[in-house]
Amino acid sequence: MAQIHTLHILNKAPEHPRSGECLRSLNPGDALLLIENAVLALATPGELTAGIPVYALSPDVLARGLAQTARKASLVDFPAMVELTAQAQKVISW
Amino acid sequence: MSTLIVIDQPPYGAWAGREALDMAFSLAAFDQPVALLFTGAGVNWLRKSQETMGIEQKSVERNLSAAPVFGVEAIYADATACALYGLVPDSMVAGVAIAESSAEVIRQHSHTAFAG
Amino acid sequence: MTQRSMPERNNEGFLENPNDWTPEIAAIIAADDQIELNENHFEIIEFLRCFYKEHEMSPPSNRLFVKSVKEALGEDKGNSIYLMQLFPGTPAKTACRIAGLPRPTNCL
Repeated sequence: MAQIHTLHILNKAPEHPRSGECLRSLNPGDALLLIENAVLALATPGELTAGIPVYALSPDVLARGLAQTARKASLVDFPAMVELTAQAQKVISW
Repeated sequence: MSTLIVIDQPPYGAWAGREALDMAFSLAAFDQPVALLFTGAGVNWLRKSQETMGIEQKSVERNLSAAPVFGVEAIYADATACALYGLVPDSMVAGVAIAESSAEVIRQHSHTAFAG
Repeated sequence: MTQRSMPERNNEGFLENPNDWTPEIAAIIAADDQIELNENHFEIIEFLRCFYKEHEMSPPSNRLFVKSVKEALGEDKGNSIYLMQLFPGTPAKTACRIAGLPRPTNCL
């Protein structure tokens, strides 16, 4: 897997102001990881990001009944989440 | 005198919504007319097939399904919020009334309390 | 017959894990309150265990316990006098303890 410049870890629901702030600050080469209430963004219509990889923490997706609608992201488990953070030069936890 | 409890916060991750649900159940316990309105990110409480084993929390879907047993009179969901979160009747738990206007639902109750 | 060891209980006598429950364990817990279980007790216990499975909670208060029994089994069983006779003290609390379920959240 290619190295990630900045991994953005977002745990806020789409209506939280920080959610928009996070999405606006994504750059090519970055990756977005949705955890906790941020996975609700998978249920909203429209695209999340322009062309960077999007991951979502699978236990949080399943808890919210979104397994069927999660096509906008690759689901990752806890070990894979750790793997992602290890690949990133920088991490921002929003 | 009827009370409307409004939950506008997403399920899991915070306790305010559960506390509000508990308040609705307590009102029902004392035979006070009470209804629930889900709006904003709160409509995500109503999505079917929540599997919460991996986050080690009780499923709000299952907790909420006790509402009619306890005598909660109605469960409303704000239509705009449902559309925003891709919720259609098929993807929602049974027994939810879709409200085109939350303001109208609030008008129909003598007392409204928001969660949190 | 060898006595299986008693599963873990909290300081109020509630099972730590509802899956540890068996009818035999119910009888042991009931004996703490000098209750000898009969089929009427087990009808309520079965109901509570189904309720827990479906809703992932015990009825949170005594009133809601009575209300849910009434909803499921009718007025003859769903009244506080009947339930008080079967499960003395606070019926919801006593019944949940014997049924191996968590303590009702709003019962003091």
